[in-house]
Amino acid sequence: MQIVRTDALSKRFGTTTATDGISIQVEQGEIYGFLGLNGAGKTTLIRILLGMIKPDIGSVMLFGKLLTPGFDQWNDIGYMVETPYAYPNLSVKENLQVYNKLRGLKRSSLVDQVIEKLKLSNYRDVKARLLSMGNQQRLGLAKALMHQPKLLILDEPINGLDPEGIVEVRTLLKELSKNGSTIFLSSHILGEVAKVANRIGIVHQGKLIKELSIYELNEQLLKKVIVQTNQNLKAVHELASVNHEAVLTEEGEIEITDRAAIDHPEYISKFLVEKDLPPKQVRLFTEDLEMYFLRTIRTKS
Amino acid sequence: MKQQLFAVQAELIKNRRSKIVWVTFIAFALAPVMGGIFILIIRDPEALAKAGGLAAKVKAMGFQPSWNSYLSVLTQAVGVGGVLVSGFVASWIFGREYSDGTAKDLLSLPVSRTKILNAKFIVYMIWSVALVISNLLIAFLIGTILHLDLVENIWRGLGEYFVTTVLTILAGLPLAFFAIWGRGYLAPLGFVSLTIVIAQIITAIGYGSFFPWAVPALYSGAGGEYKADLNSLSYLILIVTSFAGYMATITYWKFADHTK
Repeated sequence: MQIVRTDALSKRFGTTTATDGISIQVEQGEIYGFLGLNGAGKTTLIRILLGMIKPDIGSVMLFGKLLTPGFDQWNDIGYMVETPYAYPNLSVKENLQVYNKLRGLKRSSLVDQVIEKLKLSNYRDVKARLLSMGNQQRLGLAKALMHQPKLLILDEPINGLDPEGIVEVRTLLKELSKNGSTIFLSSHILGEVAKVANRIGIVHQGKLIKELSIYELNEQLLKKVIVQTNQNLKAVHELASVNHEAVLTEEGEIEITDRAAIDHPEYISKFLVEKDLPPKQVRLFTEDLEMYFLRTIRTKS
Repeated sequence: MKQQLFAVQAELIKNRRSKIVWVTFIAFALAPVMGGIFILIIRDPEALAKAGGLAAKVKAMGFQPSWNSYLSVLTQAVGVGGVLVSGFVASWIFGREYSDGTAKDLLSLPVSRTKILNAKFIVYMIWSVALVISNLLIAFLIGTILHLDLVENIWRGLGEYFVTTVLTILAGLPLAFFAIWGRGYLAPLGFVSLTIVIAQIITAIGYGSFFPWAVPALYSGAGGEYKADLNSLSYLILIVTSFAGYMATITYWKFADHTK
């Protein structure tokens, strides 16, 4: 079932195009990572999905229903947009009680449960203004998760969290997804998105320029075998003589980019030993998501 | 109805730890305290002679050490200071969501945006009424201690006190729009300050009865003889302005793009 579907969403603010014909679909249980530079249109899209901004053109369907002012499934959606803020003079518990009331939740125990889940128990009665940035982020996530939503829309969910917090949130998101929740998240920490998302979309200058699954992403990431010997020039000639695509880089390393070498770097090692050019180093380099992302947006620019 | 009740409860939770609540009660309580000082001055010829400017003011007001006179001072405080204090309350209730950064968390909820705003309007009214009742209780305490006389029926004075309260609350409603449109409490505070200045000028040139934010003060008697200028049109203008302010707030909040 499609939980989120947008059709050709466009929004302009004056002369600035914030989103330009964005169409995406997110299936149930999927974790969709939305990537883009600052000002690329990520937050505008998230605000459109939440009905905070009306698109000039296009439409949004959530749970198969057209998003209109009368949309009635907001208790199935949890969200956190940009920096999470809270009422500064209220404690963690009181802040959550406000949303417990506004969401009309029958069980007040949900407040305690989510405090426990987000490891905020020690801060239950601490005023929000006294919380660290990481704990304010946890409180923002608690607000989004308290009512056990089927769809989570999170803008930069791991901002400000320490490494332990990042791992906890990652585990939490994966657990929620396993239990059938759908997650739409944006982040500038691209490596983190790669660790949790099933699918990613890359937005640049308001346009969705690439959308692919994590499997497809792994296929598209640049890979190469990096080799170093005591006679690199000779080694390049020997490798080229058996049809390997080998070049000597400015850093004094041999880069081999053909498929056979990438699939079996051990054969390269064996070949060089046989040619009396024993390698000092053989390693498989895989482009990370940051590099892929920058390469993609530069290509599209 | 249940949703509306929950929204009001949420709004009350938001405000229960706000220092601003106590600030408004203390600031507004200056009126009965000042009234008590007037009584002490007027009863003591020596103090009256020493009080200088304050004594002149007390005499000019025709102030008497009676419940009726004391209530009249309180009514004028509601008509003049109340517009400022209620304006402050409205600015805080509606503008704080932007200064606290929490406005965005109120937009995509099962309770409608109209109900969220209505909850704020209800709390604004409860807060304003609590302020005037608090002043009345303080005045009752001070008046009892000072053994004030009752020169005529108190009910008429009480009626005027509460009608002035209603007019003051009505005058504060449009501030909600300025808070939401200006995304904070600076715009409404600026607006309420401006209305107070304009009300002085317009009243001085004889058209105060047509300026909605001057009506509460004129009705309270703070404008002296200008009270006689008030007519049905004056109240109608105030009611229409308040209703327009309420509708503008709801419409803007429902249909504007929320980018903050």
